[in-house]
Amino acid sequence: MAAADSPSAALRRRDLCSRGIRLAGKMRSDVVDLLDTYVERQGLDASASVAAVEGVPVAAAERWDEQTGTQRLLENLAAYRAFRALLAQMLEEQREQLGEADAALGRALAAVLLQVSAFTYHLEELLRLESRGPPSEEGAGPPPLPHLGLFERKLRGLGVLRELAQWAVRSARDLRQLAKPGPGSGSAPSLAESP
Amino acid sequence: QNLKCVTHNLRKMICAWDVSSKERHGQTDFCYTTNDLPPPVCFRTKEKRVEIPVPESSTMVTITTNSIYGTAFATKEFEIHQKDISFVPLTPRILSFTPDFSTSTLNLKWSDNGSVFPYGLGAFWQIQILRKEAMEKVTQVTYYSKLTHEDIILSWNWTSDMPLECTSHYVKIRYYINATQFVGPKDWSDWSPVEEVPGKDTEPNGSGVFPQDTVVAVGSDVTICCVHEEGQQIQRMTYGPEIYPMIHLSSRSSAIRVLNASASDTSGTNVVCILSEDEMDGTVLFVGYAPDIPQNLSCETSNFLIIKCTWKPGRPSGLYGKRRTKYSLFERISGKNVSCEVNEMNRERVCGFPVLADQKTYDFILGVSNPIGQAESSLLVDLTQRVRPKTPEKLTVSGNSSTSVRLHWFINGSFAEIRLLCQIEISSGHSERKLHNVSVPGGKFSTYTAQLNGLNPYTKYQFRVRCLAADHFWRWSDWSRREQHTTLEA
Repeated sequence: MAAADSPSAALRRRDLCSRGIRLAGKMRSDVVDLLDTYVERQGLDASASVAAVEGVPVAAAERWDEQTGTQRLLENLAAYRAFRALLAQMLEEQREQLGEADAALGRALAAVLLQVSAFTYHLEELLRLESRGPPSEEGAGPPPLPHLGLFERKLRGLGVLRELAQWAVRSARDLRQLAKPGPGSGSAPSLAESP
Repeated sequence: QNLKCVTHNLRKMICAWDVSSKERHGQTDFCYTTNDLPPPVCFRTKEKRVEIPVPESSTMVTITTNSIYGTAFATKEFEIHQKDISFVPLTPRILSFTPDFSTSTLNLKWSDNGSVFPYGLGAFWQIQILRKEAMEKVTQVTYYSKLTHEDIILSWNWTSDMPLECTSHYVKIRYYINATQFVGPKDWSDWSPVEEVPGKDTEPNGSGVFPQDTVVAVGSDVTICCVHEEGQQIQRMTYGPEIYPMIHLSSRSSAIRVLNASASDTSGTNVVCILSEDEMDGTVLFVGYAPDIPQNLSCETSNFLIIKCTWKPGRPSGLYGKRRTKYSLFERISGKNVSCEVNEMNRERVCGFPVLADQKTYDFILGVSNPIGQAESSLLVDLTQRVRPKTPEKLTVSGNSSTSVRLHWFINGSFAEIRLLCQIEISSGHSERKLHNVSVPGGKFSTYTAQLNGLNPYTKYQFRVRCLAADHFWRWSDWSRREQHTTLEA
């Protein structure tokens, strides 16, 4: 059982959680806008069903209620690190395929990538409040891009953005869970305990 | 009976005959005369066919059939004229039938077997391309060649109207020799055995949509196919937003045919194959224009360090990113080639080329290319006649007299080999602007000075300056910024 937080750590964590929730909300609306632009600019069918994209962590979590705070943060961190790399790949491909031709989509992608990076840093900050700190990133990069045709890459991008939008919702819920004060102790339990 | 002779090479002929059932088992004595000259050549054979020389005009043949005990059954004589001999070339031999998937081109190589024929005969080759499971004939062409008494390897290319991956392509050939001196009946050879280039619809993991991510010209007719696994069904195939009728190629492949393709969006036109259970596969087609010939190519230097060439690109290609139109500037005299960094989105096209030591004349070729085509423009320039100095900077005005001032300005560039003509604009209040020209020797990253006299005392003046190459008027530099100065009181 980990010791309860000091008041300042709890305050710091609650502050980080509430800022994280706002960031996740903003990210979600931007990702939804980006999805519309992406579908339209890539000539895709908005209703297209996309198979699970390898390397993209799935937002839906079994027994979500039973997760500890640390598990929530670690899963969130793994997801956003993966999204950061995947979005960077998408941006690189965008430049390679279209150059300057679709700067608007490029800018929107870059903006979301920036938010994902910021949110990743935010999660690392929350984990630093624990003694263990965030896991290192070595070898955690996304799987190398399999050789895909352009259409498959377009679908893959669609899959990444859809999953990111789902994650933004889940992250807000996770952070709300973390921000809840502990039962009767007047201060939020340390991450390890909070369900 | 029925003695028939066929030649495959105009030198030897194979004669075959029928015998009654009684005579089938015994041997045969075969005699023939060569070119009507006795004595005949005779030999005994068990076969019912022999190979003997083709006569120039005719030959007498005597066939005696014997019983198995050697007693003669019957003898028959035939006079064979050349006109009775059929000439049918041997079945041709295909050496290779290879695909180039990137261009959907099939290359066929075969031997013309010329060594067996006299020199100089003409040969007509029929080449048939077949396709699909049902091996439907797609095209048949006739190809002419001259036989040279040597075995020559002939080669022929054919570009399919659909990607070779879509379904198997087959070829077979036959030929006819135009032996005008030979009076007997002439016929086509048999068809060669069929050679095949298998499609992806014959490969276990061959599924996909083809062509993959290709570029075509606006107005093209394009065939796009969907190869899927055995047992899967294609629900529909769409090109952009439209559903297209499907053409059955095989049990694992169907295609659509897009006619007169129009320019695609920046990210290309998606071609989607929707299979059963909502599975989806697709490709992207980029439809654009070949580059126009660059218009108004013009080159000048502003500093004798870099030559700046500009041009009008003409119609946008509609292709971007790695498929964009690329530009390169080649200078013929020095052999130097420079690739130009051009932003497809802005209309101005500029490319820099280094001024080369001791080279005054430049013979430029601006090369333009994209995946659909290429074009070029050329320009021969004498650089000394294409000088447009940079905008004069750091203009200062000094003077400690009531009627004259001294101007100083700097020009970034190396003009040591030419003279500059600079024009000073003098304006004050509402009076008319005056221009004063001054010719100065060019310098290397120099400051230039000029003296102006005849000014009015205690008057506020505004000065600005611009320059050009004095020896060959090309273009003025831009005006410098204005500089204000008031002359002293008289």
